[in-house]
Amino acid sequence: MTERQLLVGPFNRVEGDLEIKLDIRDGQVAAAHVNSPLFRGFEMMLQGKDPRDALTLTPRICGICSVSQSAAAALALADAAGTQMPEQGALAAAILHGVENLADHVTHFNLFFMPDFARPAYAGRAWHDQAVARFTALDGSAARQTAEARSQLFHIAGLLGGKWPHTLAIQPGGVTRTPDARMRIRIRATLRGFRRYLEETLFGTELESFLPLATPDALEAWDTGDAALFLRIARDLGLHQSGIGPRRYLSYGAYPVAGTRAMAAGVWEGGSVTPFNPADIVEDLSHAWMLGEDAHPQSGQTVPDEDMRDPGYSWCKAPRLGGRIAEVGALARQIVDGHPLARALADEGSVRARIVGRLLEIARTQVLLEQWADALDPSARFMTPSETIKTGTGVGLVEAARGSLGHWLRVEGGRIAGYQIIAPTTWNFSPRDRDGNPGPLEAALVGAVAGPEEDTPLSVQHIVRSFDPCMVCTVH
Amino acid sequence: MIRQKGMEETALSQIETFYDVMRRQGITRRSFMKYCSLTAAALGLGPSFVPKIAHAMETKPRTPVIWVHGLECTCCSESFIRSAHPLAKDVVLSMISLDYDDTLMAAAGHQAEAALEDTIKKYKGNYILAVEGNPPLNEDGMFCIVGGKPFVEQLRHAAKDAKAIISWGACASYGCVQAAKPNPTRATPVHKVITDKPIIKVPGCPPIAEVMTGVITYMLTFDRLPELDRQGRPAMFYGQRIHDKCYRRPHFDAGQFVEAWDDENARKGYCLYKMGCKGPTTYNACSTVRWNEGTSFPIQSGHGCIGCSEDGFWDQGSFYNRVTDLTQFGVEKNADQVGLAAAGVVGGGIALHAAVSALKSAQKKTQTSVSKEEA
Repeated sequence: MTERQLLVGPFNRVEGDLEIKLDIRDGQVAAAHVNSPLFRGFEMMLQGKDPRDALTLTPRICGICSVSQSAAAALALADAAGTQMPEQGALAAAILHGVENLADHVTHFNLFFMPDFARPAYAGRAWHDQAVARFTALDGSAARQTAEARSQLFHIAGLLGGKWPHTLAIQPGGVTRTPDARMRIRIRATLRGFRRYLEETLFGTELESFLPLATPDALEAWDTGDAALFLRIARDLGLHQSGIGPRRYLSYGAYPVAGTRAMAAGVWEGGSVTPFNPADIVEDLSHAWMLGEDAHPQSGQTVPDEDMRDPGYSWCKAPRLGGRIAEVGALARQIVDGHPLARALADEGSVRARIVGRLLEIARTQVLLEQWADALDPSARFMTPSETIKTGTGVGLVEAARGSLGHWLRVEGGRIAGYQIIAPTTWNFSPRDRDGNPGPLEAALVGAVAGPEEDTPLSVQHIVRSFDPCMVCTVH
Repeated sequence: MIRQKGMEETALSQIETFYDVMRRQGITRRSFMKYCSLTAAALGLGPSFVPKIAHAMETKPRTPVIWVHGLECTCCSESFIRSAHPLAKDVVLSMISLDYDDTLMAAAGHQAEAALEDTIKKYKGNYILAVEGNPPLNEDGMFCIVGGKPFVEQLRHAAKDAKAIISWGACASYGCVQAAKPNPTRATPVHKVITDKPIIKVPGCPPIAEVMTGVITYMLTFDRLPELDRQGRPAMFYGQRIHDKCYRRPHFDAGQFVEAWDDENARKGYCLYKMGCKGPTTYNACSTVRWNEGTSFPIQSGHGCIGCSEDGFWDQGSFYNRVTDLTQFGVEKNADQVGLAAAGVVGGGIALHAAVSALKSAQKKTQTSVSKEEA
């Protein structure tokens, strides 16, 4: 038996900083400890501020999912004030948010995840030349097309939100920009362009033929576009057996439009969905460099332990649902919402499943955006007045590209008295809890292959990136 | 990423020119010339500069750039990679080569650290260090750890042999939101840590993509820093207030203001000053260059400017409080009084116009040019 320890990091092509300690036994990961080494203290800065300032400050947690943060802050303020966005305002907010999520997924696939397969270590594999031409970091043909298509797509964020990143338009009562007929035409034209990009590159044919795929066999038979290249690589490298997560999935429900959520909320485990109850969330601090008691985020605090004492090993708190871990993200959303292929892959819970979950969501989000743009009615109201509250609490739950994002707000005397944020990667990359249970990534890494020559094992990188981590959101 | 070809070379003279790199990227001569004229225009230079830019790019070796990330949110990178003209992004990306960039590069772990070391050694004294984010100094820098060491160490190390430093965004330039009270990590802008190198501040949260590519193109083309204002910002982009070129400015002058979100006045596109717009005190190019390939900017989306390119914008009271003190610009009435006057009598309106024009000339900021030529 050979044993060694590896400290892996920094990771590139993940958003922010990440360090992982691996215990390796006989060429396989036996245990993983995930550390989020970047802490800024947003929850502390928000204390004492005008509650509306959360709309400007919290998006700056992250330059990649800033609209998600802004949507969560707006919902938390609206909840506290008892405000409801008018239907059209909610629609415009959903379009802004959907554009960001869609762009994030496409970026992840093309710029963050696939470039790993262009590495020299895979030279000689039948698919390697194709992967190199297409996905070499910065230079591959896909990188160029993606950057271009994304820029175009973000015109919509420009039109509705003035600028991206750090868009300001979403408010508790709706959106500040009332689209006019001309803008609606431009949004629809931009979406048509993005559909063309997706159909020419990622799917190789129309989205409508990818969307109904219902079984792993049908998926395996898919033979067009970059999706087919990925599936071929996944088959060859066994990515359907790698990085198995907790197989318990959580979604807060995405896009509040027309009085409901366009993608359903819930918890999936063992083949069925149960309702999600926000009261079941507790942030465990046992292995975080944080002082204080484990708490529900409504009453939680953020007090960093500047001595960074053991057994803490991360700035990340460990959120648990009903005392146990849950995976969040596109795969979780599609499973909970009931897409047949996603559900068929729920038990697989692998690197491949996560990527396929994202591909499904790319296609679905594109279609949703088109429907929402068609439904925009420039003559309607896009904002209702929202009172500034003096005292109260509110919660804003949204789905960011990477999974469930929640803001919990407490206002006293017209000032923020408490603000807690649980980001998607806080769930996925959380450290151990009081019972010693590892977080979802820590669990998924167990069993990963680490060759004797590897100091940053490739399999570990595939698994880490399959979650599309956002480390700047994780600890904020 | 690391260009393996580049890594084997040793002397600077052997490095490809920008034009070589661009040709390798499949950029046509025609597109190249178009890029040169767009760049000249963006930099406020006349058409006579187009051949100069072209010549420089054809003959000069590309400048190596090391791009590092401290406490930040990556919004600067996000902005940068979708700069306006698709070619600008291609050209600049290939030009600066990002010899070390930890968001986009291929390598990871020790390999990435080694790439950074190689770049520093190989281009000693010749590379530009682009810093996104800032170092937190509390607890010996333990709030931002890169490769097992505090980011501030990486920053000092990489700065030591840099030719010049670009502070991207509000974080690197001023501290930005993570420096908001009580600044839990003591997030500190770059110029307070590195004091012996020329530093160009390109503030904004994030900066506009075209401003970023414009600054870098200028430096690569002319091999010197652009003219800086007294705060160290490139004067060509930060010389005017948002307010000066705001398309809603006539409504400000006429005393027509939005009073509540989505009210009739909002739909008419009136001035957002009463909704907390910081345009009158913010120096940036948003109202001229605009965002997302010239699509729009915050005021155009009906939300006031929050002043994200100004020092301390995060701690100036609520973002939705109106700028109360405009007296520094010679305005003696508040917006309500101005509105009343304008609505009241025609004569009042004319007098006001005169006052506004006088105020305009008073607004011109005295630019102390501290352009630093590199040795």
